[in-house]
Amino acid sequence: MIGYVLKTLWRHRTRTLLTVSGAAVAMFVFCFVGSVQEGLHRLTTGSDADRSLIVFQENRFCPTTSRLPEDYATKIREINGVRDVMPIQVWTNNCRASLDIVVFNGADPIQIQKSRPLTLVSGSWQQFQSQRDAAIVGRNVANRRGLKVGDQFSIGDISVRIAGLFSSTVPSEENLIYTSLAFLQYARGLNAAGLVTQHEVQLTDDADPDRVASEIDSKLRAGAVATKTRRKGAFQASTLSDLVDLIGFAHWLGYACVGLVLSLVATTTVMSVQDRIKEYAVLQTIGVRPLTTMRLVLTESTLLCLVGGVTGTLLAMLALSLGGFAIGAEGATIAFRPSVAQAFSGSAISLCVGVISGLPPAIQASTISIVHALRQS
Amino acid sequence: MALVELRGVSKSFSKGEETITPLDNISMDIEEGEFISLMGPSGTGKSTLLNLVSGIDRPDAGTITVDGTDVTKLSRTQLADWRAANLGYIFQTHNLIPVLTAYENVELPTLLLKLSSAQRRQRVELALEAVGLSDRANHYPRQLSGGQEQRVGIARAIVAHPKVVVADEPTGSLDAETSDQVQILLQRLNRELNITMLMVTHDSNVAAIATKQLILDRGKFLARAEGAAR
Repeated sequence: MIGYVLKTLWRHRTRTLLTVSGAAVAMFVFCFVGSVQEGLHRLTTGSDADRSLIVFQENRFCPTTSRLPEDYATKIREINGVRDVMPIQVWTNNCRASLDIVVFNGADPIQIQKSRPLTLVSGSWQQFQSQRDAAIVGRNVANRRGLKVGDQFSIGDISVRIAGLFSSTVPSEENLIYTSLAFLQYARGLNAAGLVTQHEVQLTDDADPDRVASEIDSKLRAGAVATKTRRKGAFQASTLSDLVDLIGFAHWLGYACVGLVLSLVATTTVMSVQDRIKEYAVLQTIGVRPLTTMRLVLTESTLLCLVGGVTGTLLAMLALSLGGFAIGAEGATIAFRPSVAQAFSGSAISLCVGVISGLPPAIQASTISIVHALRQS
Repeated sequence: MALVELRGVSKSFSKGEETITPLDNISMDIEEGEFISLMGPSGTGKSTLLNLVSGIDRPDAGTITVDGTDVTKLSRTQLADWRAANLGYIFQTHNLIPVLTAYENVELPTLLLKLSSAQRRQRVELALEAVGLSDRANHYPRQLSGGQEQRVGIARAIVAHPKVVVADEPTGSLDAETSDQVQILLQRLNRELNITMLMVTHDSNVAAIATKQLILDRGKFLARAEGAAR
């Protein structure tokens, strides 16, 4: 009987195509919104977010306004529970929310190679370490800006030569450009000799992050600049707080997309059943069981929803993997990445919505009065 | 024992505040191989009687037994299974499934039976041959004439080898020439394949092809006449 369902869908191909494309667009948006939420979740949870601390200037938010002495690193290293400290100078082209934010992190190249989860996909570490204006660029930024090894990249007063492109197991890292600390400190307009934006603190396995954070702030309180130390995840969530609210709201948009697919497929299936109510009566007169009639309608709605939903999901995954999209603010970025979980949930939701949207018309088709339906012209 | 037995069958409908009783305590027998035509004015319960025998409607009172099975006691699902195995229905307006070819339309009832694909194919080909439409097997309903559509409908009604075939005004939507062809076909199927038939018609000429003619008026049988074979 599946042939009957397929032929019916083909016969009304304009309606089928419109419904499938509507479901595809809605599931595309759903997956996109989902990937933003996943990106935010990845940024604020996980071992990198929980087992490292960010020391920032107290009451400062944008990286351009936080100016900490570089030698704070020595004092921080003395605290029990600290494994390593990496002073970082941050430069961003835009402190406000942006879809094309460029963030430079200046740090010791050897420390970067040792502590960051980066894999060079082209170029060389040696060139990065030896050349003063060398930079390694995250894959997403390179995709967005069309950069490759050997290119000269200039933005604002900063001009770097690209020594390598890297990928990372932490997606937000792929939106960064790393240079040496000295290069960024002496870049025109920054005047940050001896100063850094933040210190990134790696903890020992048994250290309590909150205790160490509190000790760092206490110890540095007597210094030239007071600090505020937080877990990296909490720091990034706080930095992106405006975006977090927006992303929180956007998840309603995701639910709205599911609702849209539900009503779209339900409307199409109801119309289809009402148009063919006599056909269902004929099928039952021939001997098709009511439950089989119900299954025919459910198959129709589920196929519409699955084809549309899976198409939209796959297109979203393709766009997310090729586009290198990210949103950032104040030097922190959220990477939009495709994921198996997102693809699975998109397909599973399409399946569920297909079944749910088909239920009312399926019940109608299977419980009709055959005699009344046969009388319809 | 007759193949079809109706005992004390009544059926009423509510139409606004009015209650219409098209069938009032009707009893009748249809023997195996019999061809009965039902005539009578509009609204006298002919189609209602047909629907009750075919199990797509239920009586308010009485029993309807077909080959020993009281169809009034079957559930909706049991009735569907019973119809698939025991009943062929010829509609006035053909009611073919438009997205299926003539072959696929005829094949539909066989999909509901436990048959191998070879057995199904054989039955469909025989049914199409019986109605003279083997060469139209791959045509869609929109590519067939009204008479051809009705013949496909007849093939669909006989393909499952049902015990009873009911026909609701089978020539009602056809021109005179096509109507004659369909009448000859129905008569041939009854005689050659010994198919038991119950046919509703307004046309006395069509009714005459049956072996027995019944006239229904105000819920009662008025007269019986033995049909004359043409």
